[in-house]
Amino acid sequence: MIKKIKEDGSPCRKCAEVEKRLEDAGLAVRIDKIIIADERDPESEGMRLAAQYKVDRAPFFIVEEKDKLPRIYTVYFRFLKEVLNAKTSEQEEITDIMDQNTDLDYI
Amino acid sequence: MTVQEFNPEQLAKEYMHKSPEAILQMALGNFDNIAISFSGAEDVVLIDMAVKIDPNIHVFSLDTGRLHSETYRFIEQVREHYNIKIDVLSPDSAALEKFVREKGLYSFYKDGHKECCGIRKVMPLRNKLSALDAWITGQRKDQSPTRADVPMVEKDGAFSTAEHRLIKFNPLSNWTSAQVWQYIRGNDVPYNELHNKGFISIGCEPCTRPVLPNQHEREGRWWWEDATMKECGLHANNLNKVKNQ
Repeated sequence: MIKKIKEDGSPCRKCAEVEKRLEDAGLAVRIDKIIIADERDPESEGMRLAAQYKVDRAPFFIVEEKDKLPRIYTVYFRFLKEVLNAKTSEQEEITDIMDQNTDLDYI
Repeated sequence: MTVQEFNPEQLAKEYMHKSPEAILQMALGNFDNIAISFSGAEDVVLIDMAVKIDPNIHVFSLDTGRLHSETYRFIEQVREHYNIKIDVLSPDSAALEKFVREKGLYSFYKDGHKECCGIRKVMPLRNKLSALDAWITGQRKDQSPTRADVPMVEKDGAFSTAEHRLIKFNPLSNWTSAQVWQYIRGNDVPYNELHNKGFISIGCEPCTRPVLPNQHEREGRWWWEDATMKECGLHANNLNKVKNQ
């Protein structure tokens, strides 16, 4: 899981929320590594991975499997469903979709 | 051509400088299971253009239950003017009742508009789009910095799923507000009377207000909230620094 530290040094709200949801659901143990994308430091590992995979959202997830290309997930509920085989509520899914598509509420 | 065969990236390049009418022609020529999302505002021009191609064009509107009475009257006026059917979609009643019971009718002034918009707009929209192959929106690049890259046609990144590929057309992408209004006046297109009262971007009644001359249209929406729309973004400047190394 790649989570963000904002330019002012504060943690990203959505990243903290997703981390808490993982913990509450007992799924945090299935995250092998948490990497920081520090917006103050373009050399930070998370920022490098974001650039490498052309991701402009946080948090995001990189799923690595032997002999397969890494899969990138920027939408939390899709990661839950497709990788962790966990259930999500419709409200949670809508929240994630809106967080990732900030223009949707203007529709 | 099937939805899977349709290549939005290639067509976005080919149609980059084409007119909205040409985009609509291409969209309606490729998809039968397609609909226009009509917000009750300037996007009425899409309906005016589309009925000239297909008089039976499928149109839907999201009725949040909180629209201005002017907008309801306008939706009805459009239905009669163009002699079309408009699917007016309501929020899921159980989800809405639970939300209002727990948080009241004006929670958005305290804890932000996202939850309310999610229940009143995005849930019914998602439900509707799950049964379509493609949809048409009035999104334009000039509406906000976050729409600066809106292509003419794209795979819908918000509502496509692993099982359901959804295509989204934005025929007005390159048009400015001035061009939209030139079309409205030049073609005697009916428009929402709220525009005469200073409204540009029109949403729900409690969350929309008119703007002053030279104010951006977005300043008339959720004006009490901080502009932290890019909370989840990784700042492009920093990403660019990495890419350029």
